[in-house]
Amino acid sequence: MNFTAILYAALALGGLGVLFGAVLSFADKKFAVPVDDRIPRVREALPGANCGACGYAGCDALAAAIVSGDARPDDCPVGGAKCAKAISEIMGVETPQEEEPLVAKVICQGEVGVSKHRYDYDGFPSCQMASSMAGGPKKCPYACVGLGDCVQVCKFDAIKVVNGLAVVDEQKCTACGLCAKVCPRHSIRLSPRSATVMVHCQNRDSARQAREECMKACIACRRCVKECKYDAITVDDGFAYIDPEKCTRCGACVKVCPMGCIKMLEHH
Amino acid sequence: MKKHTFAGGIHPLHGQHEGKAATRGKPVREFVSDSVCIPMDMHLGAPSKPLVRKGDHVKIGQVIGEAVGPRGIPVHASVSGLVTEVGLKQQLLSNASMCVTIQNDFADEWVECKGFGNVETAPADKIVPAILAAGICGMGGACFPTHAKLSPPSGKRIQTILLNGAECETFLTSDHRLMLETPGRVVDGLRAAMRALGVGRGVIAIEDNKPDAIDAMQRACRGREGVEVAVLKTKYPQGGEKQLIQAVTGREVPSGGLPMDVGVVVLNVGTAAAIADAVVDGKPLISRITTVTGAVREPSNLLLRIGTLFADAVSGCGGYDGEPGKIFAGGSMTGVCAPDDSVSMTKATNGIVVLTEKQARSQTQLPCIRCGRCVDACPAGLMPYRLMHLCVSGDLDQAVKENVKDCILCGSCSYICPAKRWLAASFKNAKEQLARRS
Repeated sequence: MNFTAILYAALALGGLGVLFGAVLSFADKKFAVPVDDRIPRVREALPGANCGACGYAGCDALAAAIVSGDARPDDCPVGGAKCAKAISEIMGVETPQEEEPLVAKVICQGEVGVSKHRYDYDGFPSCQMASSMAGGPKKCPYACVGLGDCVQVCKFDAIKVVNGLAVVDEQKCTACGLCAKVCPRHSIRLSPRSATVMVHCQNRDSARQAREECMKACIACRRCVKECKYDAITVDDGFAYIDPEKCTRCGACVKVCPMGCIKMLEHH
Repeated sequence: MKKHTFAGGIHPLHGQHEGKAATRGKPVREFVSDSVCIPMDMHLGAPSKPLVRKGDHVKIGQVIGEAVGPRGIPVHASVSGLVTEVGLKQQLLSNASMCVTIQNDFADEWVECKGFGNVETAPADKIVPAILAAGICGMGGACFPTHAKLSPPSGKRIQTILLNGAECETFLTSDHRLMLETPGRVVDGLRAAMRALGVGRGVIAIEDNKPDAIDAMQRACRGREGVEVAVLKTKYPQGGEKQLIQAVTGREVPSGGLPMDVGVVVLNVGTAAAIADAVVDGKPLISRITTVTGAVREPSNLLLRIGTLFADAVSGCGGYDGEPGKIFAGGSMTGVCAPDDSVSMTKATNGIVVLTEKQARSQTQLPCIRCGRCVDACPAGLMPYRLMHLCVSGDLDQAVKENVKDCILCGSCSYICPAKRWLAASFKNAKEQLARRS
């Protein structure tokens, strides 16, 4: 066997390797782009789901934007107060005021059998598409369509459609707000977690028409307004709204609502 | 004779004469219902403002809706009688429409109409205002206000006006009967549009499955200045605006562009006939020919007043033949499904197609096998199987890069797909989401 040929080949390749290595290490030092070391640290403090709810392409892009000053430390809606505090420490700025944690809530109870039916929809499973066809398969023009556009955008597996109505798993919801943005009926609202007493309807139609459309529609009878001792309920636009800041969760309104559209939920 | 066409396309219901056999030999017959419900938002543009109140008495042709905004057009009463209701009613659009319901007294009293008598002597600058006053919008299905189409922005030079008489859509024969029975009105309307725009060339394009209409139009064109008939191959979607321009002029409308970018304005033959009525007699658009076919006892071409309820139109054809499964406003390829038969026909309802429960049943989707038939069929040169993957997975940015916006929603891909995938539906959904985004 010709050992010298093997030796030459090994030496030649090894030599080339050493040479290129030297050139690369020189170039690395010479042409280095200074990177702000805060970017990887901010990135580390972010949740890392890359959901895009902040409006940036992902967590990396938000980290770069926070460090360059284009975004604020509390711009990540998912991370919440804890994340904002950690980022503020890295950035050396004051911690933003802690806000009440939010959660996505579905403002509709129009499940199959409750909301009246206009027609059978048997097409492409999209709320957007169904609601653009003659006002949607449910008679109420404000009802959850129940075909799951929100389920599709949720990166946290926090929404399911049960019996033709979207249901949010509050344990998993991070209040990123993507579902509220995509919903063609604006049936999902970001509300404080503690707002457990809510009017689950936003039907703006007249009482007679609302009753024709759904068995659990708010008919703006104002009985809850009269019952509330804390002035927390207002009726504008044909449906009642409970101000979560004034509400004491006493539950008096739940008992008088004739349509059953005010509900008291468990607080997680 | 040379036959024009475009690349791609399909032959829907090929063995069944595109579903047209039942009505294409039937002369147009007028049917007037007891009441009409006229929506104020039949056109693309701001809805018209109702001018009448409950209890008012109206005559035919009276303006009951005032034009709002630059693309607004007026709405006219299509029957004479008593206004019984002015209010919101769910029509085919996503939101409820403001509608005026008129009880017909069958007196057929007209308001006074004054036209120019002849399209060749009418002053050219008065033609577009006359079209606006007559409330004319595109009668092929898109409902684009015609006066806006005939007022191109300065800098755009129009060389050709194309009249779309292709009627490639399945089941429909309304344009066919119109061209066969009143070819003179169609040519008059074309001449009026040509004079309004100062255009020297007008082409009436007709598919070769209507030889009698081609013959009638050719005879009507004889002796008229700058007007000719072009024969097209029978293929769907030959009547798509961009496909038609490509076939007749050989020019391609650029991506995201309009026909006027290649110097062409396309009008439907029905629109041309309405223009002729507006210019010659000063009559507003109050009725149109609609093909009522499918699962009805007596499929017909009806001359219906605008605002006739679908239920009345069907009763004018002897009622349903069996239990209806689906009712289309328009043909079965691009038509929209009606929730029930209580909706009104509009200026653009060229057909009412009733399918039986069995025909309407949707088929189960199977996985894509990448056979590429959708790519061959796509008249816009897209790759539907790939685009559907992007649209369903939510990668709309990439879908836009792959030109989902150029999709004309003809449904050729969905029709040809052996796995029955909802291709066109996913593009429609993607386009709606993109429109909401901006």
